[in-house]
Amino acid sequence: MELKVCVGSACHLKNSRVVIEEFKRLISENNLEGEITLMGSFCMGKCGEKGVSVMAGNEFYSVIPEETETFFNEKVRGRL
Amino acid sequence: MENITDINQIKMAVLKKTAEYAYEGKLNEKVEDIVYELISGPKPQFRCCIYREREIIRERVRLSMGMFPKNPHYKKTDGTQVVHVISAACEGCPIARFTVTPNCQNCLAQKCIKACKFGAITKTARGAYIDSSKCKKCGQCLAACPYNAIVDIERPCKKACPVDAVQIDDNDLAIIDESKCINCGQCVASCPFGAVSDVSMISNVIDVIVKKENDIYAMIAPSIEGQFGDASVPVLKEAIKALGFKDCIEVALGADAVAYNEAKEVYERVKEGKKTTSSCCPAFVNLIQKHYPEVMENVSTTVSPMVAAARHIKKNHPGSLIVFIGPCIAKKNEALKHYISEINYVLTFEELAAMFDVKNINFADFESAAQDATKYGKGFAKSGGVTNAVMEVVKELNFDTPIKAVKCNGIAECKKALLLLKNGRLPEDFIEGMSCEHGCINGPAKVSEVMASRKVFDKNVNVENGDISKTVSDFEMDKLNMHRPK
Repeated sequence: MELKVCVGSACHLKNSRVVIEEFKRLISENNLEGEITLMGSFCMGKCGEKGVSVMAGNEFYSVIPEETETFFNEKVRGRL
Repeated sequence: MENITDINQIKMAVLKKTAEYAYEGKLNEKVEDIVYELISGPKPQFRCCIYREREIIRERVRLSMGMFPKNPHYKKTDGTQVVHVISAACEGCPIARFTVTPNCQNCLAQKCIKACKFGAITKTARGAYIDSSKCKKCGQCLAACPYNAIVDIERPCKKACPVDAVQIDDNDLAIIDESKCINCGQCVASCPFGAVSDVSMISNVIDVIVKKENDIYAMIAPSIEGQFGDASVPVLKEAIKALGFKDCIEVALGADAVAYNEAKEVYERVKEGKKTTSSCCPAFVNLIQKHYPEVMENVSTTVSPMVAAARHIKKNHPGSLIVFIGPCIAKKNEALKHYISEINYVLTFEELAAMFDVKNINFADFESAAQDATKYGKGFAKSGGVTNAVMEVVKELNFDTPIKAVKCNGIAECKKALLLLKNGRLPEDFIEGMSCEHGCINGPAKVSEVMASRKVFDKNVNVENGDISKTVSDFEMDKLNMHRPK
């Protein structure tokens, strides 16, 4: 599954880099390299949302950087 | 503000304004102001009216901030697509491809009419006439005319695209078929109206610099030699540090490590009777992935020099952020698709030039002669350079089996070699694939034309700085993971 994190300027200011770092750590810790491809993406057009724009497969989510681990465990791992 | 008359000026003016306000930390509040500062009116500078000019600037500001143009065609865009059409700037060039010019002598032989198998050409009092609704664009009339009176005019964007990814919509506007596009940037460089452009990360990079919360490292592609007058790499490294980067490292060092690794890989494969292609040019790898998937297994498993250099920096400076700076648009796509956790940002020379301009950098203020990489690693930037470096390693390590290489200079030559490889008829063992003619020194986001920059490049690169094996071991590049993700 492709896991895309927005790196447009609005999501950058909401700390999208932290979301990327967290996803990287969680993918590695759970040995999911073969199942999840972590990617960057330019603007997803949802700059007004509270969190950082993330696409997990074809599903859009808005992720608060501090809550990345919970999101990963609930939404991402649940989709595998 | 001087008048904008040239497409490069438009792109640079927007990048400079974006960089200026990003350095001041005011970009978000100034977004709409940029439009009016650049197009103050009331008279238009480069298009029919100021409203169209402002819309073009508005779209360009979006691109410079990592957003896509407001183009209905891109509702379903893959977020890693870098090259986009700015519809407001697209002139919708007429595309009656085969046209009769006044050179037509209205001759009696009527060779064009006889050559046309589709009855598209008729004789009129003023000469031959081609009915574009019947024309199948076979080109027979053009070849048949004894006066060279028939011309083949194609839209520059369509003509430049090597993979037929530029389509024309019902309103004659160009659109990009992302399923075919390899993000090589040829259409960006060729559109005479500047209607195709690349998305940028410049504001993110400057934001990190301004906030000073993280150390941010720049790494520069070897093709930078000759891009900024005769300023050499050691001087440019100092100048780049003055922009706010902690340090600046040569990607050519990564290229040394790539040559070292790739030579060993090719050698092992030759012994097994297998062929290898290079993997350093992202547009070339995209070409294989999208258009020659059968030969994907032949692509070298070695990472690109950009990735090798990033891993080198990350190893020595854990927790730091990394920016690749090059002449390449496809590198943005490569980083987003495969390495977003390793290479945080990618900038082009155009974007770097905008930053130099805003920070009033004068290259004469800097002095240095410190070189990292060998002349072979630096040579990667020019067509033939990868092969040259791989052969140097073959020599240094005394490989007993000779390696035969084909250098593909530009995407047309790449396609030819890949077709042979696909059909099992490639005589050579190794394909060096470079999407841009002349190599990276002629990349689509360069700031200096290749005919001028080439001289400086050749002069500055051709300096003895040790052999590849020693450099790789001195910098401990042999201890890095040099493999691409599957």
